[in-house]
This record gives sequence, C-alpha cells and structure tokens, in this order.
Amino acid sequence: MAYNVSSEFPAGCDGTVILKQLDLVLDPELDESILQLGFVQSVQVRDGQAVVMLQLPTSWCAVNFAYLMAEDVRHTLLAVAGIQRVTVRLGDHCAAEEIEAAVNDGRPFASAFPGTGAADLSALRLTFLRKGFLVRQERLLRNLRAAGCSPATICGLRLCDMSVRDGLVSTEPAGVAPVETGPAEVLRHYLDRRAELGLDCARSALLIIDTEGRPLPTEQLERHYQDARMIRVALEANGSFCRAMLAGRRARAANPSNRAIGGEFHVQS
Amino acid sequence: MYNHDGQDIFVIDGHTHLWNANPENWRNKHGESWARCFYAYHSGFSPPEAVWPFDKFCQYGEKVMVDDLFLRGYVDMAILNSTYLYEFYKNGFNSHAQNNVLKAMHPDRFLLCGSFDPRDEAAGLDALRKMTAEYPISGLKLYTAEWRGDSRGWRMNDPWAYKHLALAQELGIKNIHVHKGPTVYPLSMDAFDVRDVDHAATEFPELNFIVEHVGLPRLDDFCWIAAQDTNIYAGLSVAMAFVHLRPRYFGEIMANLLFWLGPDRLCFGSDYAIWTPKWLIEKFMAYELPDDLKQEYHCDLTLEIKRKILGENAARLYGIDIGAQKAKLSRDAIGVERASRVSA
Repeated sequence: MAYNVSSEFPAGCDGTVILKQLDLVLDPELDESILQLGFVQSVQVRDGQAVVMLQLPTSWCAVNFAYLMAEDVRHTLLAVAGIQRVTVRLGDHCAAEEIEAAVNDGRPFASAFPGTGAADLSALRLTFLRKGFLVRQERLLRNLRAAGCSPATICGLRLCDMSVRDGLVSTEPAGVAPVETGPAEVLRHYLDRRAELGLDCARSALLIIDTEGRPLPTEQLERHYQDARMIRVALEANGSFCRAMLAGRRARAANPSNRAIGGEFHVQS
Repeated sequence: MYNHDGQDIFVIDGHTHLWNANPENWRNKHGESWARCFYAYHSGFSPPEAVWPFDKFCQYGEKVMVDDLFLRGYVDMAILNSTYLYEFYKNGFNSHAQNNVLKAMHPDRFLLCGSFDPRDEAAGLDALRKMTAEYPISGLKLYTAEWRGDSRGWRMNDPWAYKHLALAQELGIKNIHVHKGPTVYPLSMDAFDVRDVDHAATEFPELNFIVEHVGLPRLDDFCWIAAQDTNIYAGLSVAMAFVHLRPRYFGEIMANLLFWLGPDRLCFGSDYAIWTPKWLIEKFMAYELPDDLKQEYHCDLTLEIKRKILGENAARLYGIDIGAQKAKLSRDAIGVERASRVSA
C-alpha cells in the first residue's frame, strides 16, 4: 500500500493487515478513510501493543469527531490477532490529553470531559453516517441519470436489478434492456453503508430509499437528488480543505525554515 | 474598482481583518496554533507569488493593508470583522478598537463591525450600548465558538443572545455577520451546526444574517437554512479561495449557492490577510462556470451576477448608494493616490 505512514512491525507481523484495518476507519465528517486522508502519522507494533500517532489537520479539529476517530482506531486494531493493547496519540490537538486518556482506557466520551454536559456521541455518529449514505447514493443516482434512466425507472429499481460485470454495474429493470451504470465500487460503497445503517438489503428491496428506508415517490426524486448533491459538494470541499491544511503542517514540520511555501506544491487531493 | 472591458465594477470586500498575531501578543500556545492554522490556510491556497513569510503574516500593519486592498486589490470599501480571542492573545487578535485605527484614517472606505458576547448577560448589553456610542459601528461580527473561561462557545438562539440582538436592532444595526467555528459546546453535538442561525433569523426578520464562510464545513446545512430564510446571506470568504486551486469545487459551490439562494444574497469576501483580494478578484472575474454545471443547475455566473457578488449585494445591505459613494471615494486620499497611479 502506498500510504505515507511511518511504521514499525515486529518480525512475523503482517503490516499490511494492520494498515488495511486502519483503512476502514473513516473521518465521520468526510466519509473518507483516515489513512487515505493522511491523518495517520505512524503505527508501531511491539510486544502485542500498537501505538498509533494521528495528526489531524488543525489543533482545533472538533473534539467529538477527534474522539470518534481515535476510538475507532482502537477498536479496529484490537480486532487484529496478536494485538492486546492499543494506544492512540493525538499530537498537538487542543484536547489531546483528555481524549487520549479516555480512549486508551476504553472509557466513553462523556467521561473524558466531566462536568461539561458531554453526552453519548451515537446521535452525532448517526447524523454523519446518514449524510454519508446520501452522498454515496447521490454518486449512484448520478450514474443512473447519466445512463439515461428516467425518474420513474430509478424509483422502481430493486437491488436484484443491479448486477456487476467486469467491475461495472449493469442495471436491468424488468422488461428493459440492460444499461451500464458506472463503476461497481460506487454501488458497493452505497450498499455497505446501507447495511451499516441496518436498512433492508434484500434482493427484492427498492434500490433508492431515504435514510429511514422509505421508498421515494417519483415526483420527489429530483428534490431528493438536489439535497444529496449539496451534501456531496460540502463533504468533498471539506475533504479538500482538510488535506490542504494537513499538508501545510507536514511541509512546515519537514522544513521549518521554509516559511514561504507555495500553493500547488503540497495539496494532494 | 475592477475594470472589465471598460466597465467599472464596484467592490466591497465583506471580510477583512487588521490583526496582531505577533509572538509578543500570544497569551499561550493557542495564540501560536491559531496563527499557524491561519497561515496554513494562507499558504495552502494562495498562488505561490501571493504567499507571505510567517512573520509578515503575524502583523502587517495599516499601510500594507491599505495597499493590498485599495491600491492593488481593486477593493473600494471593506468590512472590518472584529475577532477578539482574548483567551489566546494578550491584547486581543483583532478587536474593534484595533480595527478602528484604520476606520479613523479612511472613514469612507471602511465599515466597522463590533460584537457582543451573550455570556456577559446584562453587562454585555451595557457594553454594546457603549461600543456603539463610542465607535462608528455599522454591523456586528459574532463568533459563537469563542472560548471564555471554562465555556467553549455559545449559540445564536441562547436567550441572552436574543436580548443582545434585540438591542442591536434598537440601536439601528441591521447586519449581523456570524462565524461558526469548531466550538465544543454543546460538546456532544455537531459544533458547526448552523441551525441556531435559522432560529435567530426567524425571530429577527428585520435583521440580516450574513453567514461567513458559507457555513463551511456545513455548506449543506447552510444552503438548507438559507433556502428557508430570505434574511440569511452567504459570506463567500474561504469558499472564494477554491477558485485558484480547486476551480471545479469552486464551480460546484457557486452552482449550489446560486441554485439555493439565487444571485442577490451572495457577498464577496477575501478574509484578508488570509488571502489578498487582488488574485481572488482577478481569478473570480476570469472564472467561467463549466458547461455541465450550467446545464445541471440551470444557472450561470454572468457578468451581471459577478457584479452583484463583488459589491452590489453588500452595498444594498449597508444602504450604500454606489454612484454617490464612488464620487466621494474618488476624492479621499486613497482615491487621489489611485488616480495618480492610473495616470502615471
């Protein structure tokens, strides 16, 4: 894997398994892998203990999201055979101390900030899982529209009408010739999140549903698409900002004397 | 003034600062982190020729600012956004008193924003009265994420925020610039959530709420509330910066704003000194919305719309008659200097 992560694994430990596992951890706001976003600075495994250094784009990255990412890193690595303990570090984040203490001890968010009214983060997590669901669905809708599927066709599609051939989705509504509707990955991402949200994934289920699992009437599809499109643009723009901010920090850390660093050089996305 | 094919375009920069982020002014490590964070935005998104050294970025002073905005940057008038941050900076980062130094030097060029903090409760109301009596305040800039003692922020629909907004309205202030940031209050909620602005905008239909940075990173929620409340405006600073490095995202953001808000509620801002207006305006004027976006969103970024975004919309909000203002500005020190440069 071509991620720029400094790593140290003991002999006999397959580092790619660990990196693959970390690749499953998403920034909940951006719905992108923290590994691909470059937030994982280093991973070290020694004597059954994993130490992961995260570097978020700014010291002010929202505390609750920072906690969620750190917690997910811990959980995902504890699932790897041979790792008994996980320590997550958050560098110069403004709440690094509190978050690290709670996460590394397996304590909930509220216990990290006693007396502040901090509560459970599950509602926040759900909000962003749903936004991600809509964004993934929008990419699929975009492909279906581009392939010429009408709103009535789209709203009537069932999961069994979608099949994958040679990495491409083939859409075959009842009684109509199949059309190619974009990369299989787009469909897979959508279905993964759909399952994660506990929505119906039976072959007979409708393909396009809202975040509660309800079908969309044909006349509401356009508005639904417009809303989802807006969320996608917001998430993509934020991801682009985060990458640029992080790259700025990295460039400075690599070469502190270089005070005037130009634009294109360090923005990767 | 930007000249496009012989036509003058009046420019109001809706978001500028005269800050002091010098190391001597840092109260703690957060003062440095804040400046570094701003600098990362600056260096990460500016064209290479517009990137400053960090020490200049920390404190640039009045002369550089006047030069960057008015003499080289096409700007005719600028709104000074006050950002206090006393928890991070000994003498504040960018207070209205600091900003007023510039306003006093060039009274017709600047619109000065004051502020309030509802956590001051009754004392805050007195402070707001005093501020508007002592300074030429024409708008407010609110920063809900500001730290204060143990508090890590507040919301626009807090009861004391409403009392302050009611007083602002009574004092004749119409324009409320709101900036969200990663506050941790309420800690377990989405800190960037802009829905509190929705409540305030409904409660105070006579006031205009300009959401700075178009609610980024909650652009989607911002468009949603702005589609509901016609007294919510988009402050484009930060979003503008995409025009250089990420023109496609810039187009998508603009298409969505035009789609949800229309062309009359979008206001240009540079966020000076994070970015300088010269390159932002040049690239914005040269920018064409890609054809596929025009078709998909049924909108365009025409010259007429660019003109609204760059100045006409903000002029309307602040009751500025552009023709009369142009005549006045041509006679002030900056106007005279500009004219001499043009003829030279």
